[in-house]
Amino acid sequence: MRRSNIGWLFLAPATLILFVVGFIPFLYILYVGFFDWNSNAVDPTLRWAGLQNYRNLVFDATFLNSLARTLVFAFIVVVSELLLGYVLARALMADRLWGRQFFRTIHTLPIVVAPIAVGATWRLLCVPGFGIIPYYLKLWFGIDYNISTNAYHAFGTAIVMDLWHWTPFVTLSLMAGLTALPKEPLEQAQIDGGNKLQIFWYVIVPMLKPVLLTTVFIRLMDALRSVDEVWMLTKGGPAEATRFIGLHIWINVFPKTDYGYGAAMSLLTLYVTIVLSWLLFVAMTGRKGGAQ
Amino acid sequence: MATIELDKVDKHYGAYHALRDISFDIADGEFVVLVGPSGCGKSTLLRTLAGLEDITGGTIRLGGQRVDNIAAKDRDVAMVFQNYALYPHMTVRENMAFALKLRGDTLPDRNAKVDKAAEMLRLTPYLDRYPKALSGGQRQRVAMGRAMVRSPKAFFFDEPLSNLDAALRVDMRSEIKALHQRLGATSVYVTHDQIEAMTMADRIVVLRDGKVEQIGAPLELYDRPANIFVAGFIGSPAMNKLSVKIDLKSNAARLADGSSFSLPPGTRARDGQDAIYGIRPDHWILSRGDQGAPATVELIEPTGAEILVAAQLAGQRVLCAFRERHALKAGDTIALAVDPATAHVFDKQTEQRISP
Repeated sequence: MRRSNIGWLFLAPATLILFVVGFIPFLYILYVGFFDWNSNAVDPTLRWAGLQNYRNLVFDATFLNSLARTLVFAFIVVVSELLLGYVLARALMADRLWGRQFFRTIHTLPIVVAPIAVGATWRLLCVPGFGIIPYYLKLWFGIDYNISTNAYHAFGTAIVMDLWHWTPFVTLSLMAGLTALPKEPLEQAQIDGGNKLQIFWYVIVPMLKPVLLTTVFIRLMDALRSVDEVWMLTKGGPAEATRFIGLHIWINVFPKTDYGYGAAMSLLTLYVTIVLSWLLFVAMTGRKGGAQ
Repeated sequence: MATIELDKVDKHYGAYHALRDISFDIADGEFVVLVGPSGCGKSTLLRTLAGLEDITGGTIRLGGQRVDNIAAKDRDVAMVFQNYALYPHMTVRENMAFALKLRGDTLPDRNAKVDKAAEMLRLTPYLDRYPKALSGGQRQRVAMGRAMVRSPKAFFFDEPLSNLDAALRVDMRSEIKALHQRLGATSVYVTHDQIEAMTMADRIVVLRDGKVEQIGAPLELYDRPANIFVAGFIGSPAMNKLSVKIDLKSNAARLADGSSFSLPPGTRARDGQDAIYGIRPDHWILSRGDQGAPATVELIEPTGAEILVAAQLAGQRVLCAFRERHALKAGDTIALAVDPATAHVFDKQTEQRISP
């Protein structure tokens, strides 16, 4: 009995922090979501709105487009980062690679740069009439690259920026996973007659699954709430071409001070994220819910 | 099934010379055990045979075909690893059928072969389990089943019993031997345990520092070890190695205290040569009367089948194993004699055998 009390005591600080910064704000958002509340409105107090916010959301094309755009963005970056990250991980683990330690060190540098700085840097690289990327694309390939006017260029640049920033994280995590794999099953697979592709698909991928799953979840959730980098790069534009859901919510809650509606958006987005993660989990593990 | 021929096989890891000029042939269906202390190169040699390591010189032939330049996957050999190396994400059945699946066997074909092997290895009730739900012995049998279903050219075992407890090891030892007799497959088996080597092998290859020390049938190695290393390595408890001087006038090996043992007939020795006189513990004769060299009993260990007696003989410790239940106690003086025919004499310098 005393033992378990001590256990709770040790857990208490973490539980308390989680409760204060996680659970209370969640309840607060849930509460605010039922009200019409805009501090710049004629009546800046909370007015009961019931489910009206949610009803509006379902018909809000800007919100739904933003959500769909975010899902496309997240899908593209997560898949690309996985593929790229795996290739890089294998390359950085190769014995033959000259200067391996050096490359291993510098390839992780983007991870430590703050998103806001990444966005600012890429803005400087890409800004029309000033950045070196539009300049050389024009000079060498004759491409009129302009993230301020071309929606595809802006969206593409947001993707490339995310790849630059977060692929090293995937590489690191896969490298850790690959290093920890037991060597013998891989050797056994060679003796069993497997070629490189078969060994990769039938042995490495299944054994790497826990690491893959963790990495995908971390990256997916990050990608779904990408705000500051895109804000620095394009401010969500041109038009709404790069207005991802996090940014959309932020614009509604802060500049527009539409708290009630923003809260409802946040909750719906959370709901979508949870469902998506659950579907992904089932797809990747073959288990139905009840995560172990 | 196939023969294996090694010709001047060499292996370097950078400056480290792991295998030195290894040449021997393995007959079709033979069970050869590679044995030696840790770091002698026995596992490396097996891995080069399997294709998991390259060699830096020489050739390896499998069934007459040169294989040292082809990949492991194309050699058609099976291997059983010390820690079983089962695929953790596959059931027993999938583990056993994996190689068959890779080479494109049909599902009914695969199932038939797996079922047959599983029955032979008493694994049928476990076919749908994952490796983590099996005991060590069962995992070991799955690893063997996985090798069996393929009917490969050769079986390679890399210390397959080292992770099992003593009782299970003895069981599995006879099980592997029985399987080999049944399948008649060419097998190479690596172990550091000389009992395993003795009991299982048709022929034993003793390795030290990447070199072959001796190749021969188990009893040949036991009865006529080619050098001091093999003499000490094969046999348990180990052979007694007494430092002696050869006295050709009286045809004897003389100990420091002046007592002596007769040389085996036909020993090629010089007078006054420094030599090692080797006697297996069970070859000592406890002599009554004044024959034999006097020794002082230090320790007595009855094992049931025999009595192990540690004694001091001319300043050297010797171990004797007597089947008779002599009434001895520590401090007794005994006289030890030897039948020269059972003794082994080695040159102290070259460590090579000089008795016939």
